[in-house]
Amino acid sequence: MKGYVPVTRKINTIIISSLVIGIGVITFYFGRSLSLEISDSTSENLIRQSDILYSSIENFMLPGEAPLAVSFFNEIESRNPDYMISIRRTDGQKAFTDSRTINQVNKNLKMERFSPRTEQAEETPDPEVYDDYFTKAVSIPPVTAVFQHDEGGTVIFQIYKPLINKPKCTGCHGASHTIRGVIEIKSNITASVRQQRSTIIIAGTLFFGMVVILSLFLSQFLRSIVISPVKLIGDVCRAVTAGDFNHRVSIKNRDEIGDLGKTVNQMVAGLHERYELSKFVSSSTIQSLTRDSKGKKVPITLLFSDIRGFTSFSEKTSPEQVVELLNAVLNFQTEIIHESGGDVDKYVGDEIVAMFTGDQAPLRACTAGVKIQKELQNYSQERYGGLSVGIGINTGEVILGMIGSEARADFTVIGDNVNTASRLCDAAKREQVLINESTFTHVKDSIRFKGPYRLKVKGKDRYLRIYQVNAILSVPGKTEEPQA
Amino acid sequence: MKSLLITGILLAVMLSGCSKEPPIPDIPEEYSSWTRMNKEELNYPIPGHEENYRIIYINETGEEARFTENSGTPSITYPKGTIIVKEIYKGFDIQADAKPNSLTVMIKDPDYPDSRSGWIWLVKDLNTGTKTVISQEFCVTCHSNANEKHSFGGGNPGNEFRDYAFFTPPGAGLQ
Repeated sequence: MKGYVPVTRKINTIIISSLVIGIGVITFYFGRSLSLEISDSTSENLIRQSDILYSSIENFMLPGEAPLAVSFFNEIESRNPDYMISIRRTDGQKAFTDSRTINQVNKNLKMERFSPRTEQAEETPDPEVYDDYFTKAVSIPPVTAVFQHDEGGTVIFQIYKPLINKPKCTGCHGASHTIRGVIEIKSNITASVRQQRSTIIIAGTLFFGMVVILSLFLSQFLRSIVISPVKLIGDVCRAVTAGDFNHRVSIKNRDEIGDLGKTVNQMVAGLHERYELSKFVSSSTIQSLTRDSKGKKVPITLLFSDIRGFTSFSEKTSPEQVVELLNAVLNFQTEIIHESGGDVDKYVGDEIVAMFTGDQAPLRACTAGVKIQKELQNYSQERYGGLSVGIGINTGEVILGMIGSEARADFTVIGDNVNTASRLCDAAKREQVLINESTFTHVKDSIRFKGPYRLKVKGKDRYLRIYQVNAILSVPGKTEEPQA
Repeated sequence: MKSLLITGILLAVMLSGCSKEPPIPDIPEEYSSWTRMNKEELNYPIPGHEENYRIIYINETGEEARFTENSGTPSITYPKGTIIVKEIYKGFDIQADAKPNSLTVMIKDPDYPDSRSGWIWLVKDLNTGTKTVISQEFCVTCHSNANEKHSFGGGNPGNEFRDYAFFTPPGAGLQ
């Protein structure tokens, strides 16, 4: 069915979405926090170390002990292989690798305070300098740069801290420049990053597993407490819709669903009773239960049908056969009446009293009458033991109401028009459908008929003007009969 | 509707709180009429200003600062509202009608968010009019040397605490 989405799928979608979003956000937040925490702590650590190194350099340099500073850096590096410390000049070259600074200091001091180095100086800037960050570190105002980069699979956290030419440094280094160089610290955080990645992967896997397990659990839980009972209720409702009242909801839940199941069972039992009752009680009686049962005048078309020669037939036939054939005749008439929108008010022995109300009630009553006669013309011998009926139809106002005692009552019709319909039925011979003037006025263009005839009935001073209905026309005004 | 309105107001308050930055203080136009802090010509190179001529002024609030002796060590602490303006000229060869290129300014305001050691460190480019508060540990790094012996001007032979200013007002008591 287009647009039909099972509740199971909807609930599963909601559960999985909620879990993925909920746990996903937590996992993402966890991973991000972990990453930021490592980054922040490494950054803070490096900045703190650079501050310490800054002070150390100052303290080594002021008394002229630059070699001690170099030894200090080497010592730190040897103790912690994941750290690389160096000092670069503003042009990017590593300091303490040649005699340039020593010569300049001696020149500024106007004495040979320090002995030049004997090693070969590096002529070209170190290619490992990261220009953007380095430039920031040596510009005015200088900015301490902290950044992360990848060096052939090794994750490096790096800092460039500007080394400012303080007033107390100017004695040796001169006062013509502001930035002396940059302290460079590299920290290999590959192991931390790997650990972080594996933690996130494990957390992600756990998250996924948790989503799957919780989804299955919640899905199964909801299936057992909600979906399955609802399906059971649906099955019972479908069976009732198909006319099977023998199914009952079997739910043992002690909750709202269980209450619903009990209510549905009570409802089905009630419907079953009403269905069974409808076989014995007219629709109008059933409807009267929910309507005002006081008497009122209503326009109606009444159809009376009575079996001809039934008394002599019953004398010649066994009781079993009488009941069987009588029921067969009453049954097919009832079906035709219902098909034509009528309602059987009552069965009186071999007689049927039917009511037609609403739009085109006279024509529908005549249609039912003609169909009944046609059925008997075609199949009387074959199906109904040769029985035939006479039918009388009258239209007019009747009194509708609950007639009877407090112990037993029928919602039925009474009045002169009821009697007239009965008289017409009495007058109708086998295979005849008789109607009076009040019905004829409504159907004259839609039927093929004979008449009018005059009929003297008991209790009436004047003759009734009656007609015999022979057929119903497919197109009103034409004399063409519909195909049977 | 009501909850939407409340959410909107809260969001606006939060955003306005996030985006609010302290205003950059103004430098009084008449600063050149203030007292000059330096008697000698500042025509020698120093880190930060390098080989550029400098003249330093202090406002009346700062002029009132005096050296005091606590535990035997003289020290001077400038009151809040002190403004020290340093004119930076291009090079040392300055004509009489020369105009400074930039101003570097110290404003005593320990409550200012970007102050360092109690001072706002401000640079104004007089060519563009751009003012910048130096929030990094830059100016203050050099000026911390003012609180100990140094090799500029008269130096600080007594190792006094000079509140990050290399020179002191004429009437402060020590030079």
